[in-house]
Amino acid sequence: MDTTGFSLDEVDLLFQLVRARYGDRLTPTELDELRKGVEAVVKSARVLRGVRLSNADEPAQPFGPFRGDS
Amino acid sequence: MSDEVVFLPLRRLGALIRSGRLSPVEVAEVFLRRLESLGPRYNAVVTITRERAIEQARRAEREIAAGRYRGPLHGIPYGAKDLLATAGGIPTTWGAAPFRDQRFDEDATVIRRLEEAGAVLCAKLAMVELAGGMGYRQPRASFTGPGINPWNAEAWSGGSSSGSGSAVSAGLVPFAIGSETWGSILSPAGYCGVTGLRPGYGRVSRHGAMALCWTLDKLGPLALTADDCGLVLDAIAGHDPADPTTTERPFHYTGVDVEGRRFRFGVLKNVLASVEEPVRNNFQRSLDDLRRIGMIEEVELPDLPWEVATRTILHVEAASAFEDLIESGRINELTAPEDHYTAYARDAILAKDYVKALRVRRIMAREADALMSLFDALVAPGRPTVAPPLDREFRSALSGSTPDLMGAVGNGAGLPAVIVPNGEGDRGLPTSLQFMGRAWEENTILAAARAYQTLTDWHLRHPVVT
Repeated sequence: MDTTGFSLDEVDLLFQLVRARYGDRLTPTELDELRKGVEAVVKSARVLRGVRLSNADEPAQPFGPFRGDS
Repeated sequence: MSDEVVFLPLRRLGALIRSGRLSPVEVAEVFLRRLESLGPRYNAVVTITRERAIEQARRAEREIAAGRYRGPLHGIPYGAKDLLATAGGIPTTWGAAPFRDQRFDEDATVIRRLEEAGAVLCAKLAMVELAGGMGYRQPRASFTGPGINPWNAEAWSGGSSSGSGSAVSAGLVPFAIGSETWGSILSPAGYCGVTGLRPGYGRVSRHGAMALCWTLDKLGPLALTADDCGLVLDAIAGHDPADPTTTERPFHYTGVDVEGRRFRFGVLKNVLASVEEPVRNNFQRSLDDLRRIGMIEEVELPDLPWEVATRTILHVEAASAFEDLIESGRINELTAPEDHYTAYARDAILAKDYVKALRVRRIMAREADALMSLFDALVAPGRPTVAPPLDREFRSALSGSTPDLMGAVGNGAGLPAVIVPNGEGDRGLPTSLQFMGRAWEENTILAAARAYQTLTDWHLRHPVVT
């Protein structure tokens, strides 16, 4: 997987999703800014996807079953 | 009573109150008058809680006179960032216009614990709207106006705990409570030239505090000295059944300096890569000071996406915490224009990438601890620059902020840090020094910061406020 390159296709697709949800609220200038935000998201995702982890590397997220009487 | 009680460290103020030489009611009146007359100059205050303050101060006076002394905060005024819930009809606005009339039926745990310690709530302090969670990029991001720096009226106070920084700096309160998700205690403390403590994640209950990011939010004090911060942390720390993320590990502030103690300090390689020259020079001078009390070693962290992982977690959790506000479009009622749309981009973060960030975070915490276990503290400039001008963007939509590896590591791994003033930079503004410690080592970094403050007098300098 290319982890350093920048996928314009992914940016376009995700930006279309965001624009479909919220575009009617935004001015052209705001949409331009929003696209930069989506580019930043994709750039960050590429960096994260480049980290190799093992199957045993769990999320740093505690969860415990709930029991109301304890 | 004159303003001679202003800028006294908490132990001194507390001793005067305990001995009966100062009346808690008169002390409260001094700070209430300063909040009323000077607070608007810095856009530092949302609500002055005069009625509650006088009631608490009168109670303190009665109790102390009757010999029921609660401890070093008894009768001491303070302010709380306006994201901490307060009962009694006092608004809790979260710094945001859509919530300006919001009220809660109970106090946040921190407010309750400070009441139990006898402290006197004088004000709810201004903050960046929603603690900056919607992606603000410039200081004009609060319905109470931009936080103004007491050292330079053209400069920002920092954020998101803007009023907590400026109010302590200007002597409007002896201490304040702020919150930090990433930088929101260290930024205003550093820019305003006061001492700020970011406790480790889970040290202080967040119950009753606005949630921005459940796995990153911390509450902590801003005050004049490291010792002051320790005294406040002692009052507010501890397990809270209402916040299951709080630790069962007890915290008792030691506050005792061991004569001749030597510290082990680490400095991250390239930590000065993006800092202004005066900040760099002051940091080098601070290292010279620290060599008098310990050894310093340059160190490196493993190559991990520290900032990307922490930022991804923050953005996703903030988008979820404020889902209703974002989906409804009411974010367009916020003050900062960029807060009207920036959060929409977070819909583009894929779930798998968020979980990857959480998995990377566990590696980060492990690697950070492996390094931190070799030192009492990592030291670094508190901020890369002095406070920015009020009218300038301090980050961009695409490239983000100035690199902040210390902030990403410390907040991402939930580590404590204390920031102290260490000099003067451009435009008469303070520069700062931070000590970041291993998990649960608040006492260690406070001891290091106290030792630094015995060698220097930057914490004794205050802006001219008349």
